[in-house]
Amino acid sequence: MTPTEAAVHHAFAAREPALNGVADQAGRLGVACRDMAARFRRGGRLITFGNGASAADASHLAVEFMHPAVVGKPALPAVALGNDTATLSGIGTREGFAEVFAHQLRALAGPDDIALGLTPDGRCRNLHRAIATAREGGLLTVVLSGGDAADAPAADHLLCAASDDPLIVAEAHMTFYHLLWELTQVFLEQYGTERIG
Amino acid sequence: MSDVPRMTEVADLYPFLYRQPTDPGDVLAEVTRAAREKAAGITELRRAVVAGHAAGIAACAAAMAERFAAGGRLFAFGNGGSSTDADALAATFLHPPPGARVLPAQSLTRDSAVVTALANDVGFESVFTRQLAAVGRPGDIAVGLTTSGGSANVVRALGEAARRGLLTVALAGHGGGRLAGLDVLDHLFVIPSASVHRIQEAQTTVRHVLWECVQRVLGEGR
Repeated sequence: MTPTEAAVHHAFAAREPALNGVADQAGRLGVACRDMAARFRRGGRLITFGNGASAADASHLAVEFMHPAVVGKPALPAVALGNDTATLSGIGTREGFAEVFAHQLRALAGPDDIALGLTPDGRCRNLHRAIATAREGGLLTVVLSGGDAADAPAADHLLCAASDDPLIVAEAHMTFYHLLWELTQVFLEQYGTERIG
Repeated sequence: MSDVPRMTEVADLYPFLYRQPTDPGDVLAEVTRAAREKAAGITELRRAVVAGHAAGIAACAAAMAERFAAGGRLFAFGNGGSSTDADALAATFLHPPPGARVLPAQSLTRDSAVVTALANDVGFESVFTRQLAAVGRPGDIAVGLTTSGGSANVVRALGEAARRGLLTVALAGHGGGRLAGLDVLDHLFVIPSASVHRIQEAQTTVRHVLWECVQRVLGEGR
C-alpha cells in the first residue's frame, strides 16, 4: 500500500466518530423538522445562508426543498441568500460583510419564515447577526454548526457536528440537511401542526 | 436533464407512519429512529467506498497534484445539488482552511450570464462543454459530479475535456450510468447506492479526501 493510499484509509477512519455522532442528534432533528413543517403549513419560507463552502451547502439545502430529489414530492419555498452576488457585494461594500444576511432578512423575511444558517465553527459574524435579526422578527431559527457548540448563535434549534475540521463538519451538515428535508416531508404529509405542535 | 434523481418514495421508507391513525408522540419517535438508521447507513456506505476506492482515490490525487504542480487548474461542474457540490469543491481548493496551499479552481455552474446564454442559444447539454472549450487547456483538470451518472451536460463535458487533454475525474452513483461506459475517463468513482442523498454524502467525503491527499502529495514535493 502506498503512503497516499494509507492516508486515504486514515482520512476515512478519522471522520467516522464525528459522522456517527449525527445519529446522537436524531431527537433534535425530529423536533426541528416538526417545527419547520409547522412554519411551512403557515405559509412560511425557508431562508438559508452560510459562508465559503457553507454558502454552497446553503444553496444545496434550498434546492432540496424547491426541487425535491424524490419525484412527486411538493416543492416548498426556499431561497439561499448567498446566490445574489449583486446584493451580497452591494451590502458588503456599503454596510460591511457582517450585514450581508441580516440586511436581506430584514428586507425579505416575514414572521412565518424559517432562518437556517450553516457555519463550520459557529464564529461567523454575519451569521450571528442574521440569526439575532431573525429572532427579533419572530422567525423560526435553525443553526447547523461545528466545533464548540457554545460558539454558535442562540437559536430555536442547534445541530452541532462534533469536529473542529471544517470538511468533516460539512459532511455531517449534509446528512443533517438531507434528513431535515426528508423528515419535514413526513410531518407535512401526515399530520397537521395543531395535532403535534 | 436526464439526471432526474429517483429515490424510494417516502411512504415506502416510513410504512409505520402511513398506517393511520398514529399518536403524534409516535411520529417523533419514529422519525428519530429513522434518522438514527440513516446515519448508520451512510457510515456503512463510506466504509464500502473506502474499501472499493482507496487505491483509486490515492492515484487520482497523485495525478491531480502532478497537474497542479505543472500549472494546471481545476474546473468542476454538476447539476442541482451537484452544482453546489461543484462550487464547494472549487472553493475548498481555491480558498482552503488556513495553512493549506491555495490552488486554482473554478466552478462552471456559478456564472448565470454564461450558463443562461449557453442554455438559451446552444442547449443545456452544452453549458459546461462550451465553457471548457473556451477556458480549458491541456494540463488542466475537469471534475464532473452527478448522482445518476447520466447527466448529458456532464457526460459531454467530460468527453470534451478528455479530447482536449485535461485530466478527467467523475463522481457518480447508482451503477455509474452513462459514465460507466465512457472509456475516456481517467478516474471514475461510483458510489454504490441508489439514494441521491446518500450518494451526495459519500461523494462529499471522496472529494474532501481527494483534496486532503492532493495537499499531502504537493507538500511532499516541496
